[in-house]
Amino acid sequence: MPPVGAKDTVRIAFIGPLTGGVAANGLGGRNSADLAVRLRNADPKAKYTYELMVLDDECKPNVGVQVATRAASDNSVIAGVTHYCSTVAMATVDVYKRFGLPVVVWGAVLPDITYANDYKEIHRVNGTMINQNETAAQFVTGLKFRSWAVIHDTTDYGKGHNKYFSEALTRAGGKILGTFGVTADQQDFSAELTRIKDLKPEVIYFGGTTPLGVRIRSQMDKLGVKAVFQGTSGIISDAYIEGLGTLAEGTLAFREGAPVEKLPGGKAFLEAYAKQKYPEDPEAYGPFAFAATNLVMDAIERSGPDRRKVRAELNRTRNVDSVVGRITFDDHRQNSVPLITRFVVQDGRWVVWEDSDYATGKRALAKR
Amino acid sequence: MPVAAWPALAAVAIGAGLAAALLLVHHKAAVLAVLAVGAALLVVAQRTRAGERAAASAAAHPRLVPVAVAACGLGLVMLLREDNFALLMLCTVALQTLAALGLHLQFGYAGVANFAGAAFLGVGAYTAAVLGGHLPSVLVLVTGAGLAALAGLLLALPLLRTRGHYAALITIAFGLLLRTFLEVNDTLGGPQGLKVPGFTLGGLAFNDAIVFDEDTEWSFYVPYAVLALALLGATHVLVRRLERSWIGLALDAVRVDETAAAAFGVNGGAWKIAAFCVGNALCGLAGALLAMVTGFVAPPSFAFGDSLVLVSIVILGGIGNPLGLLPAAFLVVVLPEKLQGLQEYRFLLFAVLVILVLRLRPGGLLPRRLRRWPGLP
Repeated sequence: MPPVGAKDTVRIAFIGPLTGGVAANGLGGRNSADLAVRLRNADPKAKYTYELMVLDDECKPNVGVQVATRAASDNSVIAGVTHYCSTVAMATVDVYKRFGLPVVVWGAVLPDITYANDYKEIHRVNGTMINQNETAAQFVTGLKFRSWAVIHDTTDYGKGHNKYFSEALTRAGGKILGTFGVTADQQDFSAELTRIKDLKPEVIYFGGTTPLGVRIRSQMDKLGVKAVFQGTSGIISDAYIEGLGTLAEGTLAFREGAPVEKLPGGKAFLEAYAKQKYPEDPEAYGPFAFAATNLVMDAIERSGPDRRKVRAELNRTRNVDSVVGRITFDDHRQNSVPLITRFVVQDGRWVVWEDSDYATGKRALAKR
Repeated sequence: MPVAAWPALAAVAIGAGLAAALLLVHHKAAVLAVLAVGAALLVVAQRTRAGERAAASAAAHPRLVPVAVAACGLGLVMLLREDNFALLMLCTVALQTLAALGLHLQFGYAGVANFAGAAFLGVGAYTAAVLGGHLPSVLVLVTGAGLAALAGLLLALPLLRTRGHYAALITIAFGLLLRTFLEVNDTLGGPQGLKVPGFTLGGLAFNDAIVFDEDTEWSFYVPYAVLALALLGATHVLVRRLERSWIGLALDAVRVDETAAAAFGVNGGAWKIAAFCVGNALCGLAGALLAMVTGFVAPPSFAFGDSLVLVSIVILGGIGNPLGLLPAAFLVVVLPEKLQGLQEYRFLLFAVLVILVLRLRPGGLLPRRLRRWPGLP
């Protein structure tokens, strides 16, 4: 038995966008991974002391390959919790494969990351945009809406959402009156929104992230476009509500996994997070980073700090309870998330649909 | 009196030593210490005229110095042969410097500002992604350079009709245009990007590690680093020769006063376009090889900010002096990576350091010297 206090230190890498446009999500993920490590290090039963190597991929594929190489070629790093941006995750899978570093993707949603290869090193705890849009289409058509206009940004995120939502919506019997691609840094949407005003859709579907979502929703109001605003996981952030104030009311959005506060351990996560006094919120994907980090540390606890053994251990993940629900990896090491949670903004908060006044019929989404 | 060779050799050795130190150290404090040593050496060189002696000695031994630099470069690669990450950084520095040499030719000599360097890098990179695997790798590099030059030709007419800031705006517009084009073009992978096949030369696949026996294995980046440094070295010699020739003189004349140059029969427009095309070709060449090294291309890598990085390498190095580009690229490429320990604050410190350099050395790290013609007193 090693004496108490003489545990070996094991390093794991966290990679995400800490600077640039989506830094809020990267920092939330970083804090959550850090929290998981702190909690584990405070646990006397843990066999190892963990150290988090934090790297910034700037949401750029070339930088991602650099930092992934740095982490993967460093033999003291046993596993990684990696990437929020899909292009970066796509660019780095080969690096992890080459150097044999097992990683768990914590935020990137493009299906190809796990499904376009068969690398045993690559796992993912969050669901893909296919699951998300399937649920979204069925749910919103169930609310008796029939006509949509789609705005999406031209990144992989926005384009992917447009593709999968359009397919799912057509199957569910909805009608798309017009589709508009916009660049991720576009400021003015008068042209698109004026066109949409003429089309008179009941719902505007937006595939993109918070900054763009805030701009489009507020310009809808200025131009008098009356429609329900339906977003994707990319706008589920506190920044969205802060940016819009009362205009955010009634916005719909969808995210994989169960709502954190409703899961065993979820409340504890939020409380522990608050206790650490991180300057940033965990954001939508913080819980996924937390769950991924725990998954990695559990594997190391069981198999020891050896990349190949940790990889085998992660591959075997079945029915593991976590703050984002039960995790089971399929044959492509993709978490087959059974649950998509539906959110609506009510009184300046993202509220789970079932708990909202909208579900009980006390309030109604704006119809034309 | 013959000038001794050792001051030049010492300068080369010190430079290589600093580069190796910066690539090998990981700790924040050590990185800052290496930077401090570098800054101190720069000040000493300036105060004691050691810098001038080194320059004079380099000028007196034009054949010896390139050999010494090549030896140091190879030595550096050998030193880092098993360190994948350091070699990747070295490759990136060499190729960014190569692209910056292109910008230097345009801006430092001909006076054409180019704020779309990353776009031309991107043309080369996407060429490598699309043609790689179909053509021999060397041809892919050449095609990448050629297509970048061709894309630049689109801008020839508007560039000739505008001056100064307006010309710069045209290049900015081109950069944005290309990025948007790449994002919406699904045959080029759209926003998701494309995989790029590695470089192969006569059966040697650069993407395979070089295995000697059980214990000895060199990183697969070794051949890439050698190739990148060789390309950089050859181009540097070429640019130097160009500067000393009548072409360099013509470019200087066009930059300083186009009207006066025209009065002496120098066709300003033709020289500007020539410099613009050759510069873009160098960017395209660097981009094609960089894409093969990285193995993946996607639009976010070729944004306006990346063009600014190239411009800042040229300005930081000292406008008009190709020698300054290498230390500047080291600073701009390696430093943000080495400051990863600071996480979200690293660019803040990096920006402060860059401002400090420009505040204390307004002409850049190694400013351009006046032309000195051999044989004149």
